[in-house]
Amino acid sequence: MDLQKISVKFFVASPDGVRLAEFIDIFNSWIQGSDGDYYDVADYSHMEAGPGILLISHEAHISMDNADNRLGLLYNQRQPLSGSNAEKLYFVFRAALELCLRIENEAALGGRIKFRGDEALLLINDRLLAPNTEETLRAVKPELEGLAKILYEGADFALHHNPDPRQRFGVFMKTPRIFELDRLLENFGGFGGRLEGVGAT
Amino acid sequence: MTTAEAWKRKLADLMPPDLAREIDVFETQIELRKQGKIDERVFAETRLRRGIYGQRYDNGQRHDGIKVQKLKLPSGHLTKGPETVWDAPGMVRIKIPFGGLNSQQMEMLADLSEEYSDGVSHVTTRQDIQYHFVHIDDTPTLMRRLAAVGITTREACGNVVRNVTACPLAGVCGGETFDVTPYAKACSRFLLGHPDTQDFGRKFKVAFSGCKEEACGLTSIHDLGAIARKKVVNGKERRGFEFYVGGGLGSVPYQAKLFDEFLPEEELLPMTQAISRVFARMGEKRNRARARIKFLVANLGIDEFRRLVLEEREKLTSDIRWTDFLATVDEQSEVPLKQAASLNGAERPAGFDAWYSTNVYHQRQPGYVVATVTLPLGDITADQLRALADIASRFVRDTLRTTVEQNIVLRWVSEADLPELYGALKVIGLGQPNAGTIVDVTACPGTDTCKLGIASSRGLARELRARLSEKSLELDAAVKGLRIKVSGCFNSCGQHHVADIGFYGISRNINGYTVPHFQVMLGGKWKENAGAYALPVGAVPSKRIPEVVTRVTERYVRGRVQGEAFQDFISRIGKREIKAMLDDLTPVPPHDVDRSFYTDWGDPREFTITDMGVGECAGEVVSQAQFTLAASEGELFEAQICFESGDFMRAVLGAYSAMVQAAQALVKTQNDSVSSDENAIVIEFRTRFCDTQIFYDKYAGNKFAEYFFKAGEALKHNGGEIGKELALQRLQEAQLFIDAAHSCYNKLGSMKSAGRAANAPAAGVEAR
Repeated sequence: MDLQKISVKFFVASPDGVRLAEFIDIFNSWIQGSDGDYYDVADYSHMEAGPGILLISHEAHISMDNADNRLGLLYNQRQPLSGSNAEKLYFVFRAALELCLRIENEAALGGRIKFRGDEALLLINDRLLAPNTEETLRAVKPELEGLAKILYEGADFALHHNPDPRQRFGVFMKTPRIFELDRLLENFGGFGGRLEGVGAT
Repeated sequence: MTTAEAWKRKLADLMPPDLAREIDVFETQIELRKQGKIDERVFAETRLRRGIYGQRYDNGQRHDGIKVQKLKLPSGHLTKGPETVWDAPGMVRIKIPFGGLNSQQMEMLADLSEEYSDGVSHVTTRQDIQYHFVHIDDTPTLMRRLAAVGITTREACGNVVRNVTACPLAGVCGGETFDVTPYAKACSRFLLGHPDTQDFGRKFKVAFSGCKEEACGLTSIHDLGAIARKKVVNGKERRGFEFYVGGGLGSVPYQAKLFDEFLPEEELLPMTQAISRVFARMGEKRNRARARIKFLVANLGIDEFRRLVLEEREKLTSDIRWTDFLATVDEQSEVPLKQAASLNGAERPAGFDAWYSTNVYHQRQPGYVVATVTLPLGDITADQLRALADIASRFVRDTLRTTVEQNIVLRWVSEADLPELYGALKVIGLGQPNAGTIVDVTACPGTDTCKLGIASSRGLARELRARLSEKSLELDAAVKGLRIKVSGCFNSCGQHHVADIGFYGISRNINGYTVPHFQVMLGGKWKENAGAYALPVGAVPSKRIPEVVTRVTERYVRGRVQGEAFQDFISRIGKREIKAMLDDLTPVPPHDVDRSFYTDWGDPREFTITDMGVGECAGEVVSQAQFTLAASEGELFEAQICFESGDFMRAVLGAYSAMVQAAQALVKTQNDSVSSDENAIVIEFRTRFCDTQIFYDKYAGNKFAEYFFKAGEALKHNGGEIGKELALQRLQEAQLFIDAAHSCYNKLGSMKSAGRAANAPAAGVEAR
């Protein structure tokens, strides 16, 4: 199975401290500093449990997503990635983590937002490539477990798969240990040179 | 095998062969365009006819509030139309004939929105569904997956027959003459891809209504409108339609003209075909701004148009499809899932009563109701759509419809199930009340995604909705029943003309800054199939529009006489009083005092998209020009007063005079000694602004200048009676011309600034 259209979401620890509309200004400032990488901001703050505020680009859509009324940063890779499945997973997880840290450090938010390092959601946004089945889970599990071991420094973790066949393939990855995001990012060092070949095809 | 090929193989047996073939052809055309073997203009129309639209910023650049950024689009010079970069995200419009949806289709729409769009399905004001931020390379697969559940995007855009709409209550309405659903379905099928509908100069919209009195079908604003009627012929009751042609909104709205008081049902399709042939043959093709059938009908007059159509009808070769559907029109009625039962005694959860009072309609079939699912701004997430499909399966089977008010209705709900249904909707975040009230604001996409948008219609709608929701329980019943509709520009996709309170986006130049405004429109009639159009009252800065709503509604509550409808109230107090009521809302604070006026709703960027510094010398000329522009608006205002008093001749003269003043204002920017002679102004305006294409709208072309010239010519040659409709049309054209003059004036400022920037060291495209 060649995994593509990988999405990763990290959840906000205490979402009551921020308003969705604040991310319109933040994403707009990212656009101003991006030199054409980001195309637009889409505002769905009026929707309950909706996609929130999106930052649109060719490579990936980034959003402060409120699906299931759980606010978090969703990194939705749109373009195909090269490399092995493990490498592609690492690429997307790292991209999402870097963006979460960037938001945590946004001056406009004044430290009001923190992401949980102990939980992440992986989605494969392609029902043909990765139907939401046990078979897909079996195919993805080894890479995901490998990633979790390194990311969580060997701590216990659990993978939870929602088997609803109508939903996209999705797995929650959880550990009982508390992690700061920068620590998780540091742990990517454990992958060594394995990430060098990964990127947009 | 590519993903597209895999989907094609997987779905091969599920797609209707004609749709499958059509999609294969489109896929080939995509490939040919990539190879440079199809001209970009031809390809643009090709994709439009498949519902594949462009989207804002698809020319590859966007102003970020400081500078214009060139977007990184890897496709380079490959385009999907003029100034439309291949890799730029686009919009897909999906036709939902008469708004009818089933659970399987909703599930598919949900899946596709997640995989190819941004996870949101948007219900439009013509019962379509739209996706945004879609890549064109994904569209063939998207179309195949839709085709597998019986949906097509074919002819959702382009100069063809668009989605055929119908009253969402058809078949269950207490006031309808008969169920128009099977007729709308047959019409949609018959016209789709029909050879006689492929050579139009502009789009063609068809609507069906079950009655004349209510709004639901909006037949008056359509190119073709059919209202159900019955007639006794030779002692036998027969079905037919009150048949209208030549209506339309757009920049200058036209009420549809009565074509036939009773068109027998068997003549519905052949007569539609004959009309299509006349429109294709005689409709304007070169001047896009005059190409809708409303202009053809107006130019020929309805009698001559009818004569030509009837002549054409005689020539048509009989087609079995004209009548074969009639054998089953009575069999197609929907079957409810549950037994009818009343609500008596059922426990009512918190919030239920408020929802029940606005979102429930009692069907003519006792014990059954229609429940409206209020969609904020017409948006629904993939999860909600899937959950709604489950809810439909649980309560009603496949009897859902989208509405032109951007909601979804569940029909055939057993009334006793309502508390449970409400609870289920609440769980998925769709239990909001206020459907069809002032809170339920309708808006087109506007500057969020539309290339033509001037101001943020969705941003304003979101703001109004939030404010009105907060006080919805305190609102006077008469106010609560009003409707607000917002368009991002004059093109009226938000249907602002038929709202009690409507707005359309414009811009104004204030001390060298471009400031978002909305033109306020009051007194449109939603009922009687959009029976009357609103009149413009004046331009108000975007950020003060919520206050406009507050003042107008409070004044209505205070000043109406018992039972007085809003339209009658507006008409009675008159434009002068309304203007006085809003006058203090029109000034814009200086930029350094309140910058918020210079940004739009939900968008922190400075509104202007170009550098607009103004020097002293230019400023002097500018102030003269602006003064004259303001005077032209005053003149137009007086003309509108004349219209209200029934003096249509003076209204027309005043409208033209206002246009002359606006033209003079522009001429003054280049020749401050221009005379006040009308002919001299017309000549100077034509030479300096039209011949040079400075007064030229990227999308509307010369349309607005043509209004001006046409009005002058008409006054020279027509000495006869001036009717109400012509006077209204002239006033609206004058308003658009003046708005365009403001835009042109802004453009002049930009050109001057760009000239200065080009001469400056290290010049860029940076704004202040």
